[in-house]
Amino acid sequence: MSGADRPVAAAAREAFAEWVAASREGRRFGQLLVRRAEDGYELRHLADAGREDLRPLAGPAAAREIARTTEGGEHRPLKTSPNLRRGWTLRVEDERELAAALNYLYPAALVHWHLERAGRLPVTHYRETAGRQSGIYEIVRNLSDEGVQAAARAHCEDEVCLKRPLWGVDAGTPLKMEPGEGEIPCPEPCSLFISFARQITLFEREGRDASGLTASERRDLAALVEAAAAGELPPAREGEFSLPGNRRRLRYRALTLVPRLREPLAD
Amino acid sequence: MKALVIVGHGSHLNADSSLPVYEHAERIRASGEYDEVAECFWKEEPSMRHVLDTVEAGEVYVVPAFISEGYFTQQVIPRELGLEGEVTHRPDGKTVYYAGPLGTFELMADVILERAADLTAGHDLSGGRRALVLLGHGTDRNQNSSGVIYLNAGRIRERGVYDLVEVGFLDQEPEIVDVVENIPAGHVVVIPVFVAEGWHTKETIPEDLELTGEVTRRPDKTIYYGAPVGTHPAMADLIAARARELALVRG
Ligand code: SF4
Repeated sequence: MSGADRPVAAAAREAFAEWVAASREGRRFGQLLVRRAEDGYELRHLADAGREDLRPLAGPAAAREIARTTEGGEHRPLKTSPNLRRGWTLRVEDERELAAALNYLYPAALVHWHLERAGRLPVTHYRETAGRQSGIYEIVRNLSDEGVQAAARAHCEDEVCLKRPLWGVDAGTPLKMEPGEGEIPCPEPCSLFISFARQITLFEREGRDASGLTASERRDLAALVEAAAAGELPPAREGEFSLPGNRRRLRYRALTLVPRLREPLAD
Repeated sequence: MKALVIVGHGSHLNADSSLPVYEHAERIRASGEYDEVAECFWKEEPSMRHVLDTVEAGEVYVVPAFISEGYFTQQVIPRELGLEGEVTHRPDGKTVYYAGPLGTFELMADVILERAADLTAGHDLSGGRRALVLLGHGTDRNQNSSGVIYLNAGRIRERGVYDLVEVGFLDQEPEIVDVVENIPAGHVVVIPVFVAEGWHTKETIPEDLELTGEVTRRPDKTIYYGAPVGTHPAMADLIAARARELALVRG
């Protein structure tokens, strides 16, 4: 090996295997239950802990297929969204296969988990990540501090992402959100978050009408009332932030619009 | 130990974008040429920012699954991976070698021809001239994007496998619809020179060309249209060859 240090990925894989082996009932990691088995390791959905009727799968490539889509067949651009499919058990032969499988189920999470425990995980805050963006994402550097805070609450809380953000607006401005108790740290805003931040930056540019609403707020309210009347929410994919029915967009509206709607009008 | 890292664009919306990258990685992994083969993406996980930390090898070859040189290969990928050029020595001891995009590589013409052969296999192409049309995205901003399509058309023309080899674009002249309409051939094989399936290859192109499936018979010609070249299994060989060539710069 040409490295000065031992590769961090190798240290992480060993530390994780030890951590798993040290527990008889297995360890929770995101939505996974990871256990030492006779020869190798066994992974399954945490909610399938006691079940016997699971589809037996083997090897890292099967982990990739599990991670790619939801139960309903939808694309999963963010692997720590709490929508991991159920109904399977995965056998992997050894520590290396375990690491490879985990890197499909929760990419890079293993090494981040290890580095955080060792107190060596570098954190990149929003302002730095935003400052690096180019092309259509260049505008995210203009997002206000409050905008970053609201976006993080809408985008990163446990209801929508199981990672624990370690990053803040900048080094001196931590996030004001419930980071969650998950095992997996988030050292830097992810690409989906940057895309969401772009949407929120566009919202921040809008003017308000006499009743204090922006044009997109009005459009969303109209679309949602109509949808509710019709009996179904307009469909939007996880990363489709331009649509009123997008979960994270709705969460943002719940945080920033609903309190204003509930406020009694001043005379 | 040596590792191969394939960089894909990925998508926040569709699973089609990353699929070929996973599949090519799996093929190369099975060949045993590398101790590790990892995938990473601009819009999916692992991100380019984190992938190198997941790799144990000290010698890392990075191949972008992109057709042409441009914004991604020159700006986004080097920035996100923290690369300094063709060779980067990282503080953690890793040496990272960065390859150019796939489209200009000699083998690309072979992959396109293989894709075309698969598409027309089992069909009788006798009677009438046979034309191959390379379909590119094209854009006013990036000369390289169309350049790579012309380059491959030229290379394929030299081989003399098709009577005619033409190019057509979505976003610039000559437009694909006009090219396919006017080409003087009884059999027209249209190959999208894209890395993955997407909205254009699945929806807009078949619609614009009024296709009824993989094979569309019209009074004057038969049109063959299928998955983009980037999804073909032979693309894995091209990626591996690209990395092998890069290994030569190590000296
Ligand atoms: S930025 Fe937010 S959504 Fe993205 S991985 Fe981190 S915690 Fe999850």
